[in-house]
Amino acid sequence: MAESAETVRLTIDGIPISVPKGTLVIEAARRVGVMVPHFCYHPKLKPDANCRMCLVEVEKMPKLQTSCSTVATEGMAVRTATTVVHDAHKSVLEFILANHPLDCPVCDQGGKCDLQDFSHEYTATASRFAETKRIFQKEYFSPLIETQMNRCVQCLRCVRYCDEVMDVKALAPVGRGTMTEIKHFGAHPLDCEFCGGCVQICPVGAITSRLSMYEYRPWMLKRADTVCNFCGDGCQITVQTKDQELIEVNSAQGAGRNNGDLCARGFFGFHATSHPSRVTHPLIRRNGALVEATWEEALEFVAEQTKRLKLAHGPHAFGGLISGRCTNEELYLFQKFMRLTIGTNNLDSSARYGHVNGVRAMRLVQGTHRWTVTFEDITQADVLLLVGTNITEANPITGLKVKEAVKKHEATLLTIEAIQPAIGTISNITNLSQQHFCVAPSQFHAAVLGLLKAVIEENHIDSTIRQRASDYVSAVSQAVQQLAWDNLALSTGISRESFAHMAASLAGGRRVVVLAGQTLLRSQGGYGICLNLLDLLLLSGKLTAQGCGFAPLAEENNDQGTVEMGAVAELLPGAVDLTDQDARAQMTRAWKEELPLAAGATLIEMIDRAQAGTIKSLFVIGENPVGSLPPQTRVKEALGKLELLVCQELFLTETAALAHVVLPAASAMEKAGTFTNTEGHVQVVRPAIDPVGDSRPDWEILSALSVFIGAPLEYGDAKEILKEIRAVIPGYGSLGPSPIPPAVDHAAVNRYVTEGYRHGFATRYTLPAHAVRPEGTVQLGLVQSLFHSGKLSTHSKGLLQIEPSGFLQMNPVDAARCAIGTGDRARLSNSRGEFTTTVKVFDRVPEGLAWLPDHFAQNALRLFDCVIDPDTKVPSCRTASVSVMKTT
Amino acid sequence: MPKHELILLKNMMQPGYTGSLQDYERAGGYQALRKIVGKVPPPEVTATVLKSGLRGRGGAGFPTGVKWGFLPKGYQGPRYLCCNADESEPGTFKDRQLIERDPHQLLEGIVLACYAIGAESAYIYIRGEFVLGARILEQAIAEARTAGYIGTNILGTGITANVWVHRGAGAYICGEETALLESLEGKRGLPRVKPPFPATHGLYSKPTVVNNVETLANLPHIISRGPEWFASIGSPPKSTGTRVFCVSGHVKRSGNYEVPMGVTFRELIYEQAGGMRSDKPLKAFIPGGASAPFLTPNHLDVKLDFESVAAAGSMLGSGGVTVMEEGTDMVWAALRLMEFFYHESCGKCSPCREGSSWLVQTMRRIVAKRGRMEDLETLVDLCKNIEGRTVCAFGDAEVAPIMSTLKHWRPEYVALIHAAEAANLIMPEPAGRL
Amino acid sequence: MLIEKYKSDIESILSRYPVKRSALIPLLYLAQRDEGFVSEAAMKEIAVLLRLTPPQVYETATFYTMLNLKRVGKFHLQVCKSLMCALAGSDTVIGWVKTKLGIGPGETTADGLFTLSAVECLAACGTAPMMQANEDYYERLTEETFDRILADLKKDGTSSLKSGPFMWPEAPKAQ
Repeated sequence: MAESAETVRLTIDGIPISVPKGTLVIEAARRVGVMVPHFCYHPKLKPDANCRMCLVEVEKMPKLQTSCSTVATEGMAVRTATTVVHDAHKSVLEFILANHPLDCPVCDQGGKCDLQDFSHEYTATASRFAETKRIFQKEYFSPLIETQMNRCVQCLRCVRYCDEVMDVKALAPVGRGTMTEIKHFGAHPLDCEFCGGCVQICPVGAITSRLSMYEYRPWMLKRADTVCNFCGDGCQITVQTKDQELIEVNSAQGAGRNNGDLCARGFFGFHATSHPSRVTHPLIRRNGALVEATWEEALEFVAEQTKRLKLAHGPHAFGGLISGRCTNEELYLFQKFMRLTIGTNNLDSSARYGHVNGVRAMRLVQGTHRWTVTFEDITQADVLLLVGTNITEANPITGLKVKEAVKKHEATLLTIEAIQPAIGTISNITNLSQQHFCVAPSQFHAAVLGLLKAVIEENHIDSTIRQRASDYVSAVSQAVQQLAWDNLALSTGISRESFAHMAASLAGGRRVVVLAGQTLLRSQGGYGICLNLLDLLLLSGKLTAQGCGFAPLAEENNDQGTVEMGAVAELLPGAVDLTDQDARAQMTRAWKEELPLAAGATLIEMIDRAQAGTIKSLFVIGENPVGSLPPQTRVKEALGKLELLVCQELFLTETAALAHVVLPAASAMEKAGTFTNTEGHVQVVRPAIDPVGDSRPDWEILSALSVFIGAPLEYGDAKEILKEIRAVIPGYGSLGPSPIPPAVDHAAVNRYVTEGYRHGFATRYTLPAHAVRPEGTVQLGLVQSLFHSGKLSTHSKGLLQIEPSGFLQMNPVDAARCAIGTGDRARLSNSRGEFTTTVKVFDRVPEGLAWLPDHFAQNALRLFDCVIDPDTKVPSCRTASVSVMKTT
Repeated sequence: MPKHELILLKNMMQPGYTGSLQDYERAGGYQALRKIVGKVPPPEVTATVLKSGLRGRGGAGFPTGVKWGFLPKGYQGPRYLCCNADESEPGTFKDRQLIERDPHQLLEGIVLACYAIGAESAYIYIRGEFVLGARILEQAIAEARTAGYIGTNILGTGITANVWVHRGAGAYICGEETALLESLEGKRGLPRVKPPFPATHGLYSKPTVVNNVETLANLPHIISRGPEWFASIGSPPKSTGTRVFCVSGHVKRSGNYEVPMGVTFRELIYEQAGGMRSDKPLKAFIPGGASAPFLTPNHLDVKLDFESVAAAGSMLGSGGVTVMEEGTDMVWAALRLMEFFYHESCGKCSPCREGSSWLVQTMRRIVAKRGRMEDLETLVDLCKNIEGRTVCAFGDAEVAPIMSTLKHWRPEYVALIHAAEAANLIMPEPAGRL
Repeated sequence: MLIEKYKSDIESILSRYPVKRSALIPLLYLAQRDEGFVSEAAMKEIAVLLRLTPPQVYETATFYTMLNLKRVGKFHLQVCKSLMCALAGSDTVIGWVKTKLGIGPGETTADGLFTLSAVECLAACGTAPMMQANEDYYERLTEETFDRILADLKKDGTSSLKSGPFMWPEAPKAQ
């Protein structure tokens, strides 16, 4: 962009430097290695210039200037080291210290405190302050966050962060003058997003984490920079440990794709893997019960059974299932194990629950399996369209990028979400929307079709695509012509004018990014809707434009890796088709062995085959199909029929409880490797502690098994596997600080517009039936909570403090209709069964819908139906019609 | 017959004048508006005001025409006028009189200013305690709206100027123009970092002018009688027009007196306000509200204009003149004002926030005869470290009482400290001190 | 609920501002008029009306001295104690309150009738000493007028001694 090219030249203490126009003096100084002391300044926040610490001399200006709020201009001469400046710093510090207590010995910030550091630098002598220090009444703030307001320097970084970055606004500076203190509202503990931002951004010890209170001094801790494994955003975290104990997680270095921002899961959820119920020894089922065994015994047992079953039933009697929480190295080794050691393509991963829909759509239309955009493109976009993302809860840090684009750079935000705009204790992305369509997940399809129809009818079609692919353009045009505006309005409640308005905003954007999230990807027809969204970009000429693109959001931290490592039935490493002859040949050369030919079974197919008795054995790594799939799939019964069920697990899940052998796996805190985040950025995972008990990383277990089975896949460490990955998969070479996204493959686009689009075209351009909701029922949806991730987080003591159990969240109107209120018990029922839970009235739930957090919905699964996508085999079991009755 | 011609207080000095629309019109009101609205191009109105030499009456004395000229030219979109009626500077009570006794004079000024700067909305930010004033203004606005002086089609010209009353809620700092804007936006009244200035990023980040009540009330007269007339009053070229000075303290006749700028303090205090209330001579006076450094009897012949008072080491400020007689304890007086500033510091900037609490505690100690000689050095140091180091001018203001009393009446501080030393005991902190 | 009781007032307030948050102080006044102070429930309701979070309402409410977050007496006596009034004897006025009502600054009489606050400058320096009782100013106080005011307030809830439109010195009387 033009503005970034403009620079100004200035001198800092005589050192000349050239900086982009608009750079603040304090930042310019940082670039020449001069650190101007400050408290209130933070690069993420708008300058507030309240602490007055960063005063500097600027030639030709009469007074000292705050370098945090002064913009560098051409020819400016700044002096930061004169006596006048030094005295000013000293005097401001004297003021700040006047009321500050001398409790450094018991302060958790001690050793990493800006005030301590500056005091050391400026004031060696005793204070002249001989008056009474201000004392605030100590108030209980929250089980997770401790406030000690006597230490507060009133820089308001916490308040500003909570507003400007998070859009949560949970903190209030209360009172006036020297008695101003930071508080939350109400006579109850703090209720907010618990992102930990206030703890991280506080320059002193006024706001600290209670999880690690009074436990350590910073210099006693060992640090490991690694990657969070709670969602696909891939945040860099610093895990601090003492001996083998996890003490604290932060991202205070401001590094990584998250630029130092975290969410509650990342900041307070780290205890999940150190829960006492971890499986720490191998278990073998003997006389019906799982009993402890040695590794040797367990591996021997699995190997013997495997060899026996393979001999008796062949390799296709086996299947494998792996979690998207595993490292790339483990995913890679898993599929290699299944394909070579066992000899079958019956393998799948948690990406099947939804991520596969987005990736398959990208591959078909634009020929990539990754985003063609990055987080930076989101923050710099001028138009953003979010479809079914539930972004704050599902991908909170990607959500921050969206907030940044809107709040800092004034991007136009368009949303199609099953969320009502409402102010709450956690942020709501639709509050920032310029235009928002509130539709139920079942009508996302209709809303996207309406938007497509408007783009076409309002003539926003790109002239190039019209010329080059007239057949495709007219096919889509004709298809949308068949859709009646009245029907679209009936399905979505959105008028033609509104669709036209959104279409115009979208078409008017120069840098347009479309984000599709879990609510969409996991819903019925998710694949088709992704294709429709890609059509939207293609038709409006945005697909290939600079800064534009389609970005499906990954739920699990390494969903993207599972696809790229080939840990799904239909794809080989590099996310190439199993049927691709060149790719097969390449893999055969690399592995020096033939790959199995037969198409593999996907998740539901494997369960069906187990049910039918054709699959006899399943290797399950970190996945829990019994806990995730509705009973209607008869998954439990099917797994019960297996002759060998091997689970590599952290906990004794519902699935592991059925296993013949449970092998204790090491968590992400305990192993090395790499994760690939939602934007396709490969990042290094480093162990913070040793594996708990006898647990071992999954790759090590697989490797050992292969040896016992007699088809060894031997590696000395995870790096050796990465080396092999690098040889066979492009994009895993050097791991830079930010991703280099692939470009749209024009040949693929050509194939798509000439032929590829035809498959399933009629279905995805047909308006879904307008479901009539029977009186007294709501559409129950399984949703992601901000405070949990899968079931893993339900082992985290920090997160359980925030959200200990699941609630049925209902719209006030529906709740009133059912005569039900917050705290009441409700019975949900439909033809499949019933489930009783506690109700929370929540005004962001749209009328007619009700939400149940996925993480605690175990016993509610029986209410859900399961629909399999005919193309991608994604099982969709997230919504169900239920009636709600108050009960006691 | 008063010695000087009254401009702003003229109407209300007429016997029986009620401030109603009828009375105001009868006295020639709204003629200025009729003369120019829709007839004279707005830039010419600004030029007229510039030519009159009118300077802000709120405290800083910035030329009004220049301020208006800072608005971005050719900007499409809303602009705002804010009338600063947050009269809070201790010693000042003129705006209250201008509002409650002649509201239409102010309203005409507001509409004229709206017309000149192209603002369709004006907010009168009136201090919350002026409940009566707010009511009178609401009433006057309703009258003016009915008469077509305010609203969407002023005098049939198609020009819009809506005026709203917005009450503050008790915060001195909201008299600072950017704090006023924050407060009007429903936030805490904390001054904003400048630049950007209100002229480009004011109310709701839109171009905005903030003018004091007395400033705006002058406009109808400037328009009606011409800038040359106005510029000939007072001490031209830099201090033109009259000012309504508020005299309080130990005088015979306290109250508001409108005199041309440039008369001496002696005339204001001894002629207008009738001199000292008793036989005690004048000991000290504050020339321009609590933020202005104290002056002494030696300064009685200083002229009441911006430059002369500044040259005497103080400032004309808001026009609040507080007179103290011989026998007044100057350390106590400084402490009283320091208590005010401590109470009113918004808390944004560390030097002001922490400094005010430190200064007030030290001053309380000295007054309670628990001071030490080194306190005096510390006081001066702290004041110097606050001055010029804050976002707004509050920091400069809060050190004025201590710095100026220390300068002129240091022996009184020393005496209190000697008394402390003589007593040779550490007295407890006085309980229940206000 | 304020919205049910004062629907048209609230609509009229909201109509004055292009940005909702500006209506915050006016609505806090409305809440205070209704209950005598600004309650937690009122702050929550106002937050909903203005699409703010409750902490945003709270931070504003606590900045301004005229908004009471706790109950005060039926008559809130606010005696100015700034220098200009002090020169004219405002400390004496506070002394009268102590003698006559038995309360000091920040205290409320046992019958809940009077609360005394010692406040900073109320812009009536020329007519000191003065106090504000609820919405009304009482100026040039003497012990005699002060007694009458207290008696009037107890009896009638208001007093004829309250200030009208301000002018000092007074205008010449009409013939």
